Amino acid sequence: MKISRRDFIPLAGAGLMAGYAGWEGLRSRRNAPSGPSPVAVIKATSYSEDLAQRMLRGVRECGLDVRGLNVLLKPNLVEFDPNTSINTDVSVVAAAYEVFKSLGAADVMIGEGPGHRRDTYSLVEMARYREISKFDDLFVDLNRDDVSAVEKFADRAEMYFPNTALRADLVVSLAKMKTHHWAGATLSMKNFFGLVPGSVYGWPKNELHHIGIPESIVELNRIFRRSFGIVDGIVGMEGNGPIQGTPKPAGVLVMGSDLPAVDATCCRIMGINPAKIEYLRMASDGNLGNVEESRIEQRGEKISEVRTNFALIDSFRGLRLT
Amino acid sequence: MADSYLGVRLDVLRRSQNPDGGWSYYTGKRSWLEPTFYGALVLHGDPAADRAWSLIKSWQQPDGSWPPTAGAAISGWGAALCLTMAQIRGEIDGTFLKGLAYLLKTAGTESEIWRRALAKFGLVDPGRNLSLKGWPWKQGTSSWVEPTAHTLIALKKAYTALPAPEVAERIRSGQALLLDVRCKDGGWNYGSAWTLGEDQRSYPETTALALLGLQGRAEAAGSVDLAKGWLQETPSSLARAWITIALRLHGIGVPNTNSPLKGSGSPDLMVVALEALGAPEGNYRLLKTEAAG
Repeated sequence: MKISRRDFIPLAGAGLMAGYAGWEGLRSRRNAPSGPSPVAVIKATSYSEDLAQRMLRGVRECGLDVRGLNVLLKPNLVEFDPNTSINTDVSVVAAAYEVFKSLGAADVMIGEGPGHRRDTYSLVEMARYREISKFDDLFVDLNRDDVSAVEKFADRAEMYFPNTALRADLVVSLAKMKTHHWAGATLSMKNFFGLVPGSVYGWPKNELHHIGIPESIVELNRIFRRSFGIVDGIVGMEGNGPIQGTPKPAGVLVMGSDLPAVDATCCRIMGINPAKIEYLRMASDGNLGNVEESRIEQRGEKISEVRTNFALIDSFRGLRLT
Repeated sequence: MADSYLGVRLDVLRRSQNPDGGWSYYTGKRSWLEPTFYGALVLHGDPAADRAWSLIKSWQQPDGSWPPTAGAAISGWGAALCLTMAQIRGEIDGTFLKGLAYLLKTAGTESEIWRRALAKFGLVDPGRNLSLKGWPWKQGTSSWVEPTAHTLIALKKAYTALPAPEVAERIRSGQALLLDVRCKDGGWNYGSAWTLGEDQRSYPETTALALLGLQGRAEAAGSVDLAKGWLQETPSSLARAWITIALRLHGIGVPNTNSPLKGSGSPDLMVVALEALGAPEGNYRLLKTEAAG
């Protein structure tokens, strides 16, 4: 039986927030993929290329069917600095919108809750997201959306999330390929930090650091499991990411339905050993997805043909893939 | 008046008030404490503000804190805003005292004794003085510039009515914390000035908020000049609004603006309220505090 996040029951009188009905049941049936996970690696060397065509090819390679679904595109929009490449490029977001509409999604929205800056609309302006046609009609500021509680999040009894994200049939993580000075790498799984509302937890979302970054990444991906990852590695970030690093062209879009598999593939492209990334190890141990190379069915480009080592800060030198 | 910078914003706020008396961040959504506080501040003295305050006052939780929105079981930073509002309205009652007690017992977890011990023995380098106590966004997490600044406003106002030593001490410590985490460029980041060996750059909005918390402190002077520069440069309507309010409260003249509402580029009702608050004839003075502690 298909269980949708639409099944959650919003407000039930007296302003009380409802829990996410059936949540425990949903968790228990979310086992690891029974077979290898398809992950597509598509070459794209510039943001001026026909990205929609390339993305469409990748989505089809992964066998994703979005007909009739309400899709939420979740880009990585953190901070703006014209001298580096922090955010998912606007052309990738625009291409994803076009692709998911063309594949028959009932509705496609764009939502993000930036983790650092308070002025979401200033960020979307600077990142040129407002150049997307009818952007203001499509965009939801996930930091200030109405929220509902989901029971149990790591050691917390409950956690609040934006209703727009809870109601989506599919959350598409439009992540950026970056190194991260706490987590090692930030890719499609870590991008879900932006689903945590700042209006409840503040800026930055310090609650997640207190719970633990790897634990929070895994928990978020358990909750938003009906997901698809597309990582913008056309120009990523190396060194002291996710904000103060330097641009690193990798020339790829990486995508798939199994986000741990997508992120493990990205790590291999970046020259990082995914087995040494704690949240990927936890995701693998917890049957959240496939991380081992033998359990990932690579489509499109071979990793060896696109691998380009991302510079690592000293404390992460040991992550290098040999 | 209706077509003026302030008038246009007042009109938007009046039209967007929810039936329960509160405001959402965006039209058509549920009422939240933060935009409701600013809406009530802008319309202070108007029945619309009374309805707004009645709503959020009713949200106080048994521990004295306030949630960010009705029913969210979170002890959040909104207690500072509500204490400020209670004092502006002259309501020094049981709600106020419970809220004050909550703020006095709440501190960022970085100042816990075991963390201070680790720093003292050189086992960690937090890059800041952990004996200084600020306030977190949410109870049980670290202190940050913004909730600390809001709480300082509330406590400085409280000290006028209730000059207790514990209030004075938290004001002293909170101000010292803000000065301790000031970035090298003279402004403020969201929290620390330094992370993993890298100096953090400051942001206009957090610098403005820190300046609000440091009203009356001579050490803030250098940062005021930085904020003045940002007023012209920042593309953020939110940051411009906060800087305008901060500069006015520090006695600095701010050029009048005649920009139309759409020029702000933000549909965020809290930004609209802050712009109205910072208008020359706006209610920014309600956030004025005296030096204390």
